[in-house]
This record gives sequence, C-alpha cells and structure tokens, in this order.
Amino acid sequence: MSTMALAPRVVALVLLLAFLLAPQFFAPVFAPLTHNGAPPIYTQASLLDLAIAHLELVALATVGSAVVAIALGVLVTRRAGAEFLPLSRAIVNIGQTFPPVAVLAVAAPLVGFGQAPTLIALFVYGLLPIFENTLSGLQQVSAAVVESAKGAGMGGLQRLVKIELPLAAPQILEGVRLSTVIAIGTATIGSTVAAKGLGEVIIAGLLSDNTAFILQGGLVVGVMAVLIYDAMTALERIVLRRRGVRR
Amino acid sequence: MIELENLTKRYGDVDVVSDVSMQIQPGSFTVVVGQSGSGKSTLLRMVNRLVEPTAGRVLIDGRDVASLPGPTLRRGIGYAIQGHGLFPHRTVAQNIATVPTLLGWPKAKIRARVAELLEALQLDPGQFAAKYPDELSGGEQQRVGVARALAAGPNILLMDEPFGALDPIIRVKAQDDVKAIQRRFETTILLVTHDMEEAFHLGDAIAVMSGGKLQQYGSPEDLLLRPANDYVSRLIGSSDRALRALSLKTARDAAESGDTDGLFPIAPDANLRDALAELIWRGADAAAVSGEAGTPPRRLSLRRILALGRGA
Repeated sequence: MSTMALAPRVVALVLLLAFLLAPQFFAPVFAPLTHNGAPPIYTQASLLDLAIAHLELVALATVGSAVVAIALGVLVTRRAGAEFLPLSRAIVNIGQTFPPVAVLAVAAPLVGFGQAPTLIALFVYGLLPIFENTLSGLQQVSAAVVESAKGAGMGGLQRLVKIELPLAAPQILEGVRLSTVIAIGTATIGSTVAAKGLGEVIIAGLLSDNTAFILQGGLVVGVMAVLIYDAMTALERIVLRRRGVRR
Repeated sequence: MIELENLTKRYGDVDVVSDVSMQIQPGSFTVVVGQSGSGKSTLLRMVNRLVEPTAGRVLIDGRDVASLPGPTLRRGIGYAIQGHGLFPHRTVAQNIATVPTLLGWPKAKIRARVAELLEALQLDPGQFAAKYPDELSGGEQQRVGVARALAAGPNILLMDEPFGALDPIIRVKAQDDVKAIQRRFETTILLVTHDMEEAFHLGDAIAVMSGGKLQQYGSPEDLLLRPANDYVSRLIGSSDRALRALSLKTARDAAESGDTDGLFPIAPDANLRDALAELIWRGADAAAVSGEAGTPPRRLSLRRILALGRGA
C-alpha cells in the first residue's frame, strides 16, 4: 500500500482510538447536534468497552460462520458429498435471506436475551458469502492440477490441504472478509435484545431523539468496518504471498 | 514389464475400454494412438489406478497393481499430462520435488535430484528453480511437468497427450527431449496420443485403439506394412506410407560402401525421409554417411532410398 493510500487510514485509526479512549474530548464536535441541553457524548457505558464487546461478538460469529461454511464447501466439493450441494446451498441461502432481526425475534425466546441470540443471527447471516466463495474457489482449481496431484500419489487430504485450499484461499478469505464487514454492521441490532455492543449507543440516540448519539455510534461502527476490511486485505496479501498463491 | 490382462472399464452400459490385453516391454517407448473417445486415456489411467478397472487386471513386473494402495502405487509411477498441471503456487523446484517430498526423501537429496533433472531437461537450475510456473514458456512448463513426473526415478512413466498444448515447432523438440530422457534413464514410457505422426516419431511399439478395443499392437513397421484391419490402415493413411516407412530407417542402416568423393555429408542418425528430402533439395544423387570411428564414410544413394521405401 502506498503512503498516499495509507495516510488517511492512519488518520482514521488515530481518530477512532482517540474517540474511544477520551470521548469527552470530542464533545464540542457533537454538541451542535443536540438540543435542550442533552449530553453530546454517550456516557452510560465506556465506548471502548462497547467497541471491544462489539468486535468480540463479530469475531466469534465470523469464526463460527467460517468454520462451518468452509467445512460445508469442502464437503460438497468432494465426490462423496456432491449430493449435499443443493441442500447445503438451500440452507445457506435461507440463512442469508432470513432477516437478522427476524432471527433475533425467533431466537431470543429460545435462548434468552443477550449475546446468544445475536451470535446466532450473525453466524447464520455470515454463512453465505463464505460458503459461496469457498465453493467457487475450490471449483476453480484447474482439473489438470488436481489430476496431477492425484497422479503424483497425493491422498485426498494432502490434495485438499496442499493444493486445493491454498489455491482457493484468495476467494475463501475474500468471503470471510465480506462476512466480517457485514457482521460489524449487523451486530448493532444485537442491542435490541440486550447484547453489549455499539448498537446500544445508536438505540439510546433513537429513544432519546439525540442525533449526536446516533452519529457517534454509526461513525465508530463504520470506521471500524472500513479499517478492519483494509487490515484483513493487507494481512491476506502477506500470507498469500508467503505461500506463493499470489505475487 | 507391464501386463494388461483383459482390461475392461464400463460406465453404465458403455464399455469405454473393452477386454484389452497387451504386454509392454521394459525400457520400451509404447504409444497408444486413438481418436477422442477411443478409450486410450482410460486405458492409461487404469495402469496407475486413477481409474479402477471393471474387469481384468494390470500387472507390473508380475505384481497386481490392485495389491497396493492407490497413492502408494502412484508415487512409484511417473505421470505427465496435457497442459502440464503444474501447481501454480509452488516454484519449479517445489513442483519437481512433489513425489520425493511425499516419499520423505532428505532435503539435500531432493535438492540434488531437482538440479539433476533440470539440467537433464536443459533448464538452468540457478535460473529456473525459484520461478513459478506462470513465469515459464509453454515448452518450459512441459519440461518441468516431465521433470516432476520423473523426480523419484520411476521405472514407468505414463504420459497423456503431453505435447498436446505445444505449438508445432516446440513440439518436435519436446518429443526429442523426452526420447533422449527415456534412453538416458531407461524408463518404460507409455504415452497416449491422437497424433499418428507423433506415434511413429516416438514409438518402439504402437497400439491402436478404437471404440474401446485394441485394434492392433505392434512395431511401427508392422502397422505400416501389415495393418490388421481397415481402421488401422485408414488411421495411418495411405498417401504417405512410403515416406513413413522411410522415416523409420536411419541413414546408418541404409548406407552402402562406395565412392563418397565430393558428396555432401549426412548424419548417420538422420532418418531416410529427411535424407531423401535433403537429396531432392540439393539435387544430388547420393550423400556421404560418416562411419563409426576409424571406418571410412559410406554412400547413401537416391536409388537405395527409393528401393527401401517400396512397400509390398
């Protein structure tokens, strides 16, 4: 990444950290958005704690989605699992089309309020991009390459680990990145069922008609999403280059 | 020796390979020729069990290949395919080292073997070892594919249309390289192609397949002079039979003692087809074929070549 591209990201990161660590410092910026002397900065909970809880939720859900979606993608591209492809696709598609809010509504009575229903919603919602990318990544590995691996005497697992997954990795990781970003945004709705997260700030703003709260909650979520997406892209490039997949 | 015994592969109701029996001599270069759908690739892939036969068996040096686990068997048999199938995320050296690595060779031995093979295929190790496949030309990729197939020093090398993706000029060179490699390592090569020209150029023995059945299996001369059926003679083609026959003989074998004063020289290894072409081009009646060390050159005349090209 060139310095031209890096500079705005560094600035964004510094601003974000500063805001999370010392939000009161930014009070004058948000004050014009409030009326009737409402507080310009959310103080019911530490913004830093909320951000950390928010990301924990996203990380847990996305790791879960990734494990399940990649495993499914691998399974249905094996000869023995090919017949499960339509079924898996249907399940994963339903997961994506079913609105996360509806998942929350269904899950909360079953598993109680808090983190659990939010995790379920994010997990289900995050499956599709990873599954579809894993599938197309694995299917794109050239038949001649797989045939050569077989011909060289690699077993099924060796072929998968040494040849197919590394070659499909760029696409799989792209799916994971996509799911992560979607989850960072979607996790805000978790606050409707009392999951700790940045959605709390936005909802407090909506309830008390405080635009400053809504904006600061939204900004923190948005900036985190962008920065994490970029960081994952950069990390991915390093890993893939080291493994020879991308140069 | 590779023995195919009543080998059959059936998909649904169709016999893709039907009751094929043949013996492949150790150290020979055997070419299986057929059009697409003739079952030739399936036949080849049953030797290393990429395809399991429906009936019949394959013996290598008397041992049934079904007695070994597939991957273990395949590590002992070289396999090179059209479009090379090199692993794009691995360097040339890593690609070549595939089977030795699977076999757990020590690192130093692998490195030495990779260098040896690169040199044998006229690729400078210093220049090529660390390159990735997409940085190579088509011809270089093909050679690395062959090097990878030969890496663990297999006695048998199976090749499925290995030259199919190469343009004509590189192809002839690649064919000659493989032939030279075969002599050097004394490998038994079983090669599948649709190209009769290639079969005649490379094969010590040629097997013709059609509709899953073995139509004829014999030396190139056999096929040319005694085709087993109409299909074989049609496949070989009648228009240039004489030239094909000439291409199977060398100048060394055809030369006679005689006056060679003032004649242009021709290499003893040159085939008579090329020798004839050269004579026509130069408008000469005869050429001089240099003898073995210490013996005088001998004479190869146009009349002699024409006589040898006569069929029946």
